[in-house]
Amino acid sequence: MIYYFKYVLQFFLLLLFQVLILNNVLLHWWSQPSGFPVFTPYIYPLFLLLLPFETPVWALLVIGFLAGCVVDSFMNTPGMHACSMVLIAYLRTNVLLALLPKHLKEYKQLSPSVKTMGWPPFITYASFLILIHHTVFFIIELWNLSNIGYLLLKILTSTLTTMMLIAVYLLLFSRRAPMQR
Amino acid sequence: MRVLISFIQRFFNLILFLGLEILCVIMIARTNNLQGNDIMNSANITVAYWYQKQSGVSNYFALRQVNDSLLSENARLRQELARMGEVDTLKDSAVVHPVVEIKDSVKLVQYAHYYYYKARVVNNSIGAASNFITINRGYKDGIAPNMALVSGTGVVGRVVNTSAHFATALSILNTKQRLSAKLKDGTTSFVYWEQASGPDEMLMKVVQPEIKIHKGDSILTTSYSTVFPADMLIGTVKQVYILKKDNSRILHIRPATNFRNIQYVYAIKNEFIEERRRLEDSTVKADNRQKK
Repeated sequence: MIYYFKYVLQFFLLLLFQVLILNNVLLHWWSQPSGFPVFTPYIYPLFLLLLPFETPVWALLVIGFLAGCVVDSFMNTPGMHACSMVLIAYLRTNVLLALLPKHLKEYKQLSPSVKTMGWPPFITYASFLILIHHTVFFIIELWNLSNIGYLLLKILTSTLTTMMLIAVYLLLFSRRAPMQR
Repeated sequence: MRVLISFIQRFFNLILFLGLEILCVIMIARTNNLQGNDIMNSANITVAYWYQKQSGVSNYFALRQVNDSLLSENARLRQELARMGEVDTLKDSAVVHPVVEIKDSVKLVQYAHYYYYKARVVNNSIGAASNFITINRGYKDGIAPNMALVSGTGVVGRVVNTSAHFATALSILNTKQRLSAKLKDGTTSFVYWEQASGPDEMLMKVVQPEIKIHKGDSILTTSYSTVFPADMLIGTVKQVYILKKDNSRILHIRPATNFRNIQYVYAIKNEFIEERRRLEDSTVKADNRQKK
């Protein structure tokens, strides 16, 4: 039970960090007053990426949906975050299967992290899913493909910033993995 | 039947995925209209609680700036007060607008552009598409068309017609005319009214998505208007709705004036409005002439 409590706590930590701090920080990639998109990095999907390997897909989908709804109610965007969260929850298993040598069932009581996967695979895994999440979210948010350069720039800068924040988060919070050396 | 069950078992994840996505799309689509989603809104209790906490913290950190601005405002007001007290004649003042000449040598200097006339509301409507207010002062008392009407709490309307002892004013609850307005951070827009929303609600559209708007923010008049003095309270934000179409927001505003039981109003006369109108009209005319 305490094992799952950790993940709930992690979710609320990331959610509050997202809502109370990151949402108030409007970032400009460089200080040009106009033309460059103002953007917000969304770091909360990280919690979905850190759930244990053996979580079944249906549980991932439901958790992703509920988490998306909670974030949506904070940001007044019904359905938008939930939609992109459900998508990455569905894709998560396939990405992990492609990146890991063994089947997911064989990693008992472990979750994806730098320690269990190593830096390059984990960053690939995280950045791929974050990129998909941001792409879907910003497309739904803007709902307008006439200004496609702006959209792409926004997705790209936002993903890069999120990845930086995720790296910082991992460095801060990752401990030695609970496995025998 | 067994085939169906095994099919569902096999593709359960895919079916669940598609079902949830469809649910999301329905939620997104439902907020396209103004009604919005009741639960998923930052107005619900838990979310509002966290936002309240957050604003508490940020307000605390802003105290210093607020203090500074209050001090500087105090200083400015004291300065102005001191100037009011001693300046009465032309020779020892920095005159900007000499308005009324009394004698050859002495000029009365007026800094205030506005005169306030007290009036009582004798007739009032709130149900029509264009609502009118009748007050018990007419042109014999100095009331003229296009003077602003305000109550003690906020903006009321604009005088359109005068008789000797009465005047009628178009209240801001009308579907014909919009009212130039701004948020407290200076974002200008306009306030309009729809008959269906009743006398307790006005609407305002804000296009810029990056501006933070909270419940209870005040909406003020701008100096663009030739009728109302700047910075008078129109109302406060009651609800914010997002239009998914272009990400702009519709603010529902509670008017500062209670139109149901309005009794006393002030009519405001602007000393320089004729001059300003003449200037603006002649500029427009000159511009038109140039185009031809």
